[in-house]
Amino acid sequence: MKRILREALVIGALGLTMASVANLVSPRGLSLARDYFPAKAGTDSPAPSRPGALPARLARHGLGLVDGLQARKLFDDPRYEQERILFIDARDDRHYQEGHVPGAYQFDRYYPERHLPALLPGCLAAETIVVYCTGGTCEDSEFAALTLTEAGLPPARLLVYAGGMTEWASFGWPVETGARKSGLLRSVKP
Amino acid sequence: MNPVIPRTSRIPGRDLVLLLARCLLGSVMVVLGLSKALHPVDFLKILHQYGLIESPVVLNLIAATLPWFEVFCGLLLVGGIAVRGTALLSLAMLVSFTGIVLRRALALHATTGIPFCSLRFDCGCGAGEVIICHKLLENGLLLLVSGLLLATNHRRWCLRPDLLEPG
Repeated sequence: MKRILREALVIGALGLTMASVANLVSPRGLSLARDYFPAKAGTDSPAPSRPGALPARLARHGLGLVDGLQARKLFDDPRYEQERILFIDARDDRHYQEGHVPGAYQFDRYYPERHLPALLPGCLAAETIVVYCTGGTCEDSEFAALTLTEAGLPPARLLVYAGGMTEWASFGWPVETGARKSGLLRSVKP
Repeated sequence: MNPVIPRTSRIPGRDLVLLLARCLLGSVMVVLGLSKALHPVDFLKILHQYGLIESPVVLNLIAATLPWFEVFCGLLLVGGIAVRGTALLSLAMLVSFTGIVLRRALALHATTGIPFCSLRFDCGCGAGEVIICHKLLENGLLLLVSGLLLATNHRRWCLRPDLLEPG
């Protein structure tokens, strides 16, 4: 038994080394030092089971909240075409490609280094930025908005659309597939 | 005249069972491990939802390394390398995972009132949303297989069954 334990320890050490190297070289690897789920004001972490706490949490950080109709109004505003209003999709590549608000920029907050350099100048120039993710219990829009404030954006310009893509599509509003400005639009009927 | 070849060089049943057990456990670990390793953010989110780990570094470390570690152990089992040591590790992992999933399922059952065997959620096991009863049964079977490999000194069709034994 002692030999099996020793063998398990050796395998454990080798396996952990191999796993760390694999994470390091993988393009989807995680940064070990980053806090991907920063606590809100120490105790009020965005727990999916407490969706009612969202407006208070956002307000505490100076962020705004919009519902579907307000988001649609901002989408239809002429300033959206001029990029004075921006929509930011905080989901991963697969979900973004499957369908996003037409013209929305992607910002996968788990890999900010991929998106921020291109995104930040436009955000700094914009008057209003609407951040959304899937909706429901999804918390990525909230965290993405916080990441953007840490990158230097004034919180007052950031609005979280909590209903997210699920609600947007359920209204039958236009959805763009593929890359941003791909021109591939589809309308999902509720 | 050709001599009649006696059919005594049969494949021993015990070795065949152990080979199958190794390949079953190993391939399940490789497939489920890879599905998590290729989508580490999804796995990280699920780990976070369990709310068991406070430290971000520990949470990230587990999400980043555990799937690859599973793949590594799975490959060792399929190749027949350090079989008993790897079976011990797989047993330890399965006991922990099963306990955590069972705890969450019981909590959900208590709070929602959904019949236990109708509960389904993504347990972070690598197969997406599953019926938890099925997952627990599957884990029970894999635990038995791990126990079998741990208890048996199996050497046939193994590349290097004992890692620490010279030669």
